[in-house]
Amino acid sequence: MKTLSIATNEIKQSLSNKRTLVFLLAFPICLMLILGLALSNAFNSSIKIEDFRVLYLVKGNTEVEQAFHSFIKEAKKYGVQFIRTNDEIDAKKAVKENKYVGLVEVTDQGIQLYENNANAIKGSLLKGMLKTFADKVNLATTVAKTDPGKVQDVLADSGQNNYVQETSINSYKEPHAMDYYAVAMTNLAAFFGMMSAVYLIRGERQRKTDIRLSAAPISKMEILSGKVLGGILTNVLCMLIIVLVSKWVFKANWGDHLAVVFLVLLSEVILAVSLGVGISYMIKTDNTVNAITMVFVQVAAFFGGSYFPIDDVDSFGGIFTRLSPLYWANNAINKVIYLNDMTPAVHTMMWNLGIAVLFLLISVISMRRREGL
Amino acid sequence: MKVLEMQNVTKKFGDFVAVDNVTLSVDEGEIFGFLGPNGAGKSTSINMIAGLLRLNEGKIKILGKDISKSNQFAKKNIGIVPQDIAIYEELTAFENVKFFAGLYGLRGEALNERVEEALEFVGLSDKAKSHPKDFSGGMKRRLNIACAIAHRPKLIILDEPTVGIDPQSRNYILQSVRKLNEMGCTIIYTSHYMEEVEEVCTRIAIIDHGKIIAEGTKAQLKSIITNTKDVWVGVTSCREVDPDELKDIAGVQEVQINWEDNVIKINSAIDVNNLNKIIRYFINHNIEIRSLEEKAPNLETVFLTLTGRNLRDK
Repeated sequence: MKTLSIATNEIKQSLSNKRTLVFLLAFPICLMLILGLALSNAFNSSIKIEDFRVLYLVKGNTEVEQAFHSFIKEAKKYGVQFIRTNDEIDAKKAVKENKYVGLVEVTDQGIQLYENNANAIKGSLLKGMLKTFADKVNLATTVAKTDPGKVQDVLADSGQNNYVQETSINSYKEPHAMDYYAVAMTNLAAFFGMMSAVYLIRGERQRKTDIRLSAAPISKMEILSGKVLGGILTNVLCMLIIVLVSKWVFKANWGDHLAVVFLVLLSEVILAVSLGVGISYMIKTDNTVNAITMVFVQVAAFFGGSYFPIDDVDSFGGIFTRLSPLYWANNAINKVIYLNDMTPAVHTMMWNLGIAVLFLLISVISMRRREGL
Repeated sequence: MKVLEMQNVTKKFGDFVAVDNVTLSVDEGEIFGFLGPNGAGKSTSINMIAGLLRLNEGKIKILGKDISKSNQFAKKNIGIVPQDIAIYEELTAFENVKFFAGLYGLRGEALNERVEEALEFVGLSDKAKSHPKDFSGGMKRRLNIACAIAHRPKLIILDEPTVGIDPQSRNYILQSVRKLNEMGCTIIYTSHYMEEVEEVCTRIAIIDHGKIIAEGTKAQLKSIITNTKDVWVGVTSCREVDPDELKDIAGVQEVQINWEDNVIKINSAIDVNNLNKIIRYFINHNIEIRSLEEKAPNLETVFLTLTGRNLRDK
């Protein structure tokens, strides 16, 4: 009962404190909105190609010219415009000046491409399309040697006119910006709880209320348990509000396994509060403890993908990323939502709770050694 | 019945001995004063009584029970008013008292009644729903007291409860102390203000450098000083006053000058009638006398006699 009384008191105090509400609620929600809207383009997996113009020159009467004209027609559907020219020199000059992506010469020997390397994406696309066309012509030539009657069938096969083929390595659905930042900012808000947890016991000493608590018929363990429980419940409440706002107002995707997602977030909160209390006992001065927690949270956030997604762990932050609790949580929750993969979530919860137990033990041992709180 | 017994209690912080072999007891119904300068060991002593600090040596008993073995029992029967204001600014006055009283096992209607009682006692009933951040210093001190008395402890410890407040609030607190005592509480009152301790306490211990140097009623303590008297001379200006010349007057032992108030305190042997000579000194030096008073020794004089120092540095 006394533990619950202390926990209730802690929640009342925290929620009466405007700074706490701004820090744990308003700040993450605003950041989520700003980053989710501002960086939405960074999450587009498609690239829009505009102004794709190519010059072509037919030298002599070629058998390929008719097929090439079919190719040009198909290419137009993808926004690629082929323009005929008779002046090779002017055409090459125009390509060099980046007015056109390239110059295609259609000759008896085949197709030659003169391109400007300035635009790598368009150049690659054009090469790819021409190669597909060239493969088709080569196939027709081969067929003509054995069965000339089938050549037109090969060249006219519209079912195979997919000169641009979409291939995707990642076959699962990916988050949009708001989806990503909803998860990232909720995790970050949970981890921010560490900074207020530092003052769960330290704050009592600063206010001198530690004297009253120590003088009351209540054990140190009850006081510590009550304060930690109060800290956890306050942070869980704020976290739930952030999730609800992101889900119902910003329409973020939290997937179909909300219970698992909640458990990961809860373990994050428990870790943050335990770290805060433990660090508070390990470090004596206020300035030092504030600096250490601030640096730790921001480094964990930076390397953990709180501010931008991390595609390649090793090329980005390497060991710093792998050691960031925020990376574990972000990665675990995203895999639950988009891959229905629970394994990272279980591992993350185990790590979070294991570290939390360690820091709570440190707190208990330190507190027992001290006189008073 | 003895509410408090301290037997050979010692407390060290490293090599520093804060409380040195203190033995004393407090009977039920007393207002027991701990008088001593800053750093004498008053707060350390009461922190040990309240169970906030561990003893290095000795024993403390509350209502006959050793606090090292019956810690919870002792704490249930003690209310502490710390020197610093120990309240939650974010909670209302009512919520503050309710929270602390709740830690002593009070629940439900009984808890609410005690909270209202405590707030009424300290004159803050109409401020029950207000936040302490809007209170004056005196009101915060009163709330500080309310938080300590709601659970009706048998022993109330007040550690320098009037530091930094206005005279009106100070008087209110001293009246409250007397009222609490009339209601049956035993009180331990610590202060470095001699006037307060003289005003409210029934028995006093004078502590210095961790040791009890004198203990007894006011009369008993003052009887230590039976051979001196004080003459207080108020003048227009102390600039021309020469303490050494005054000391040359027969019987004069000590001269203290308060430059701020232009008051000279002359401590003389009680059996030497030197008032005329003292007055003549001021007349001969053209120093205008505004006031003149001969006072009996007080606790300050007792302390000065026993330690050679003042209770408060001037």
